[in-house]
Amino acid sequence: MEREITLTVNGTDHELSVEPRTLLVHALRDEMGYTGPNVGCESSMCGACTVHVDGEAVKACTELAVRAEDAEITTIEGMGEEGDMHPLQESFQAEHGLQCGYCTPGMVMTASAFLEENPDPEREEIREALEGNLCRCTGYQNIVNAVESAAEEMRDSPMSPETATGETAADGGTVEEGGD
Amino acid sequence: MATDESPQEPRPEGVETVAAEDVDAADILGSAVERREDPSLLTGDAEYTDDIQLPEMAHVAILRSQYAHARIDGIDTDAAEGMDGVVDIYTADDLDVSGNVPTAWELDTLREVDHPLLAEERVRYQGDAIAVVVAEERYQAHDALDAIDVDYERLDAVTDPTEALDEDAPVLHEEAGENTAFEWEIGDAEATDEAFAEAGTVVDLDVTNQLLIPNAMEPRAAVADYDPGDDELTVHMASQNPHVHRLLMSGVLDHPEHKLRIRAPDVGGGFGSKIHHYPDEALAAWTAKRLERPVKWQATRTETYLTDAQGRGHETHGEIAIDDDGNIRGLRIDTKANLGAYLSTFAPAVPTYLYGTLMSGQYEIPAIHCEVTGAYSNVPPVDAYRGAGRPEASYIVERLVNRAADAVDADPAEFRRQNFVDPDDFPYETPVAVEYDSGDYEKPLDKALDLVGYEGFRERQAEAREEGRYLGIGLSCYIEACGLAPSELVGALGARAGLWESGLVRFTPTGTVTAACGTSGHGQGHDTTYAQIVANELGVDYEDVDVKEGDTADLPQGMGTYGSRSAAVGGSALVKGAREVVEKAKRIAAHQLEAATEDIEFDDGDFHVAGAPDRSMGIQEVALEAYLAHDLPDDVDPGLEATAFYDPDNFVFPFGTHVAVVEVDPETGEIDFENYVAVDDVGNQINPKIVEGQIHGGIAQGIGQALYEGAEYDDNGQLTTGSMQDYAVPKSSHIPEMETDSTTTPSPVNPLGVKGVGEAGTIAAPQAVVNAVVDALEPFGVEHIEMPLTNERVWRAVDERAGATGGDD
Amino acid sequence: MEFDGTVSIADVTSEEVWLALSDPVMIKQSLPGCQFLVAVDDEEVDFDELDESSTDEDPETLPAADPEAIAERAFVDGGRYAALMQISVGSVEPSFETVVTIEEREFPRMDASGEGSAASSSFEMASGMELVETDDGVEIEWWAEADVFGRVAQMGQRVINPVANRVVGRFFDRIEDELRDVQTDEPSGLRDRVSGLF
Ligand code: FES
Ligand code: FES
Repeated sequence: MEREITLTVNGTDHELSVEPRTLLVHALRDEMGYTGPNVGCESSMCGACTVHVDGEAVKACTELAVRAEDAEITTIEGMGEEGDMHPLQESFQAEHGLQCGYCTPGMVMTASAFLEENPDPEREEIREALEGNLCRCTGYQNIVNAVESAAEEMRDSPMSPETATGETAADGGTVEEGGD
Repeated sequence: MATDESPQEPRPEGVETVAAEDVDAADILGSAVERREDPSLLTGDAEYTDDIQLPEMAHVAILRSQYAHARIDGIDTDAAEGMDGVVDIYTADDLDVSGNVPTAWELDTLREVDHPLLAEERVRYQGDAIAVVVAEERYQAHDALDAIDVDYERLDAVTDPTEALDEDAPVLHEEAGENTAFEWEIGDAEATDEAFAEAGTVVDLDVTNQLLIPNAMEPRAAVADYDPGDDELTVHMASQNPHVHRLLMSGVLDHPEHKLRIRAPDVGGGFGSKIHHYPDEALAAWTAKRLERPVKWQATRTETYLTDAQGRGHETHGEIAIDDDGNIRGLRIDTKANLGAYLSTFAPAVPTYLYGTLMSGQYEIPAIHCEVTGAYSNVPPVDAYRGAGRPEASYIVERLVNRAADAVDADPAEFRRQNFVDPDDFPYETPVAVEYDSGDYEKPLDKALDLVGYEGFRERQAEAREEGRYLGIGLSCYIEACGLAPSELVGALGARAGLWESGLVRFTPTGTVTAACGTSGHGQGHDTTYAQIVANELGVDYEDVDVKEGDTADLPQGMGTYGSRSAAVGGSALVKGAREVVEKAKRIAAHQLEAATEDIEFDDGDFHVAGAPDRSMGIQEVALEAYLAHDLPDDVDPGLEATAFYDPDNFVFPFGTHVAVVEVDPETGEIDFENYVAVDDVGNQINPKIVEGQIHGGIAQGIGQALYEGAEYDDNGQLTTGSMQDYAVPKSSHIPEMETDSTTTPSPVNPLGVKGVGEAGTIAAPQAVVNAVVDALEPFGVEHIEMPLTNERVWRAVDERAGATGGDD
Repeated sequence: MEFDGTVSIADVTSEEVWLALSDPVMIKQSLPGCQFLVAVDDEEVDFDELDESSTDEDPETLPAADPEAIAERAFVDGGRYAALMQISVGSVEPSFETVVTIEEREFPRMDASGEGSAASSSFEMASGMELVETDDGVEIEWWAEADVFGRVAQMGQRVINPVANRVVGRFFDRIEDELRDVQTDEPSGLRDRVSGLF
């Protein structure tokens, strides 16, 4: 039995109909086309699906789409775009903090929520913060470097908290997801 | 980490990247330019297979055996067929194609066995495919799997290669008669026996090189689409080698090769697991064709645990002989290699030619003999996983060398140094059929020892022991063979394919360049690296070069990315293609400049007449002339492009020294890294930052094998480490800070002088870690601990010895 | 996977425990998730049919039931019984169609084997128990050896062990509860009638 829900993703409202059991990550990817969050394990182990729900990093494979109504969801697509990337995205590139890129959207989302909490972390703290995000390619060191550099960059040139977390302002539009 | 009291660990030194626009064109090769593929991967723009949505697309799910070994007496799909959204269900009876998954490598003694796409009367590992469900929606397809009723008759299972070779073991393939898949040897048995007879000291060791599960973060996937109008079958899939997949799949599905298109979109890591031809992607393709409708199959993580080809799986007895002067005289290796339930694509090559040929390590060893018996068993097929054969070789050699140094009371670094192949002896022919291209083994050793502070270490270690703290240092002086090629050689060794590579270089009339290579990157940064290579060869701007890979539709035939071959073979193919383009352009330039071709010189993108530098023409201008074709020399056709096929003369042999320094708590078995130093010589480096990233990632997987990972099965062949919960893929806090550096000994084999880097870390790391832990526990008399060195195993090893010796400490 | 344990029940006789543990109805009621448990003769068991014909109304068990009636329906040596067991393991709740064979039954010892299969999972087990009379009651020594296959097996011992312990724990709790009723039911002379059966 499908349910009509409205999800707010990167500032845009989407009307869609989902089964009660539909995972948020599948609603985002299959119904709304936000394919940035990836599915690596569908069991809350890998973190590739991490998005922000009301500013908190959440593994979108552990959340039901119907429970995310009324929340502000931000995916990697809402963090920045080519040519206008978030400082974290930029530092991941500069520090070579990604290889295949599959874990990367989740890493960036986890890291950005973490830096909100702890803008001046030590390396060990970064490693701990990223424990729920697995990367099979990089060996993590350049990811830690990227988060460390981004933190520095964000401290040196503070932006409005909104831009800093990449929760981009909405255009306020509403999108209806066509049937299936 | 317990050993580090300082509040803020400093960032280890690393390579600094530069933005491409800040690099002079002449310096592009060798610069650590930022990767051009990153912005798309960082913003969610990337397109992995599961991101692809086609109109009317249905979803495929695959029913897998719950038993490791069973006869199938019947399959009842009635209930499932009636379920919501189910389009169709197929079993082996429905398959109208030859459907036998092939292996691409033969050995004289190989017993080949059938590997049907869907199990017919028998399943041989937990995860063996039994039926295909097609449904409108992803969830519906998975729901229906539960409603299929399979009538099984369970059989005894065997998962260990040594047990599988036992006479009483359950036989997997009746047509083979026994579980022995092959018996193989290399080296000179007689000479080796003599060397051992004369040796002053002989040391031996039994080791298990455990089964590993690759765990690329993106599970395998395929989206298939069929156009009945022109019989075009397109498969977008997570592949490391689309052309190889096309070749094999066209045979499996009886579909003409030229009407089959395999395209690898962005691929989320492979590490070997996406080389092989599995049943699943072919089943998706077959289904799309049968239904004339696009379908998607996306493996769940559970499925990757059950079905991705696993790596390693060796049980080995090794012996080393040393004379009274501390020289290694001989090495004898006997290995039982687990091949799993069926022969996977490159399975026969991995424990043989990619293993036995590396037994000489970095050492001059006059006599070597290595024999390997391959065994079928009730685990998923075992095939190449990052390193493939070479980590196993490097592990046994470096463990034995370490023990040999101990046995003759030599310093492990000096013992190695004494036995290294002399830098003047290259190319060096080993007793195990390969010829090392170039090497200078002391350089990375010295650099690594220096970085790690080897000189003061023993003193520090002694002081720490006084305080009841157990530090250990472990060396790994590894060698590997990569850049998989040349074709004639691999053909002689059993490959059913060549291992050359293709490089296409094509100018457009406006002077921009498309470069295409037959490799297929999946995280290695080929777009960046190849653009650096081609821009350098043509003398054009890096930004003017676009790189294409991973699509059989319009790219020249290629062999793919594995065996650290992309730069050495693929990069060299591009060099060759670019040089052919330059040759043609030179003739056009000569004509335009009214000079003889022999008098034209080319540098930094400009052709000029020797001795008259102002009479010149840029290659991009020449490209325009080539396409205008208004004024070309008589014997020159229009256009400016070349497709080169490059087949090198030899493998390349990277090497280096890795050193781990650990502290072990004998009470808890906990291991903490104090330091991890890696000095690698991968020949010339095209992009040192990408090289560093490859080394880091490789080390992380090597440390994973040493300390955390291992596929485990119960007596019935059930995988008990079948999730990320139970199989420990290392997390950020598991991997120490790594200090990396390099030396450069160019390879004479290819025009770039590169070796290969993708697998080095994984090959080097395990024995560095194990040697370090054993060194730390030397006061307890611990001589060996099997990987993974879990806290429990370490604690037990200490405890057992303490019991044996009446307690120490 | 191997499990074993000892359960002590105070103030009962081994005959009473034996009778209770021999009663398919009592077992069905005490096993968490057990939908039905009936004797079967056919080689092939049709679980769908059994499920349909199974009633929610169970005959009486101890202490209300007549011990003779229980003895009548008690497990027999070599007997085969079909049960539908719904057990929640991790995120899934498979229904195992289970066939149990009483391998040996001789007071005070009973051995049984069983096989159950559900969608994508199955198990095989051998189990047994022996009653030991002690000063203040009876000890039930039990053991079980189970092989688990498929999806449930993949969840690993970390998940399976607690489930097994929970099922076994609840089972003996309920048996104990029932038997407590037997002891307090003195007026009917049940105890004498039970021992009279032996
Ligand atoms: S897919 Fe959500 S944590 Fe792995
Ligand atoms: S970059 Fe490939 S998994 Fe992290």
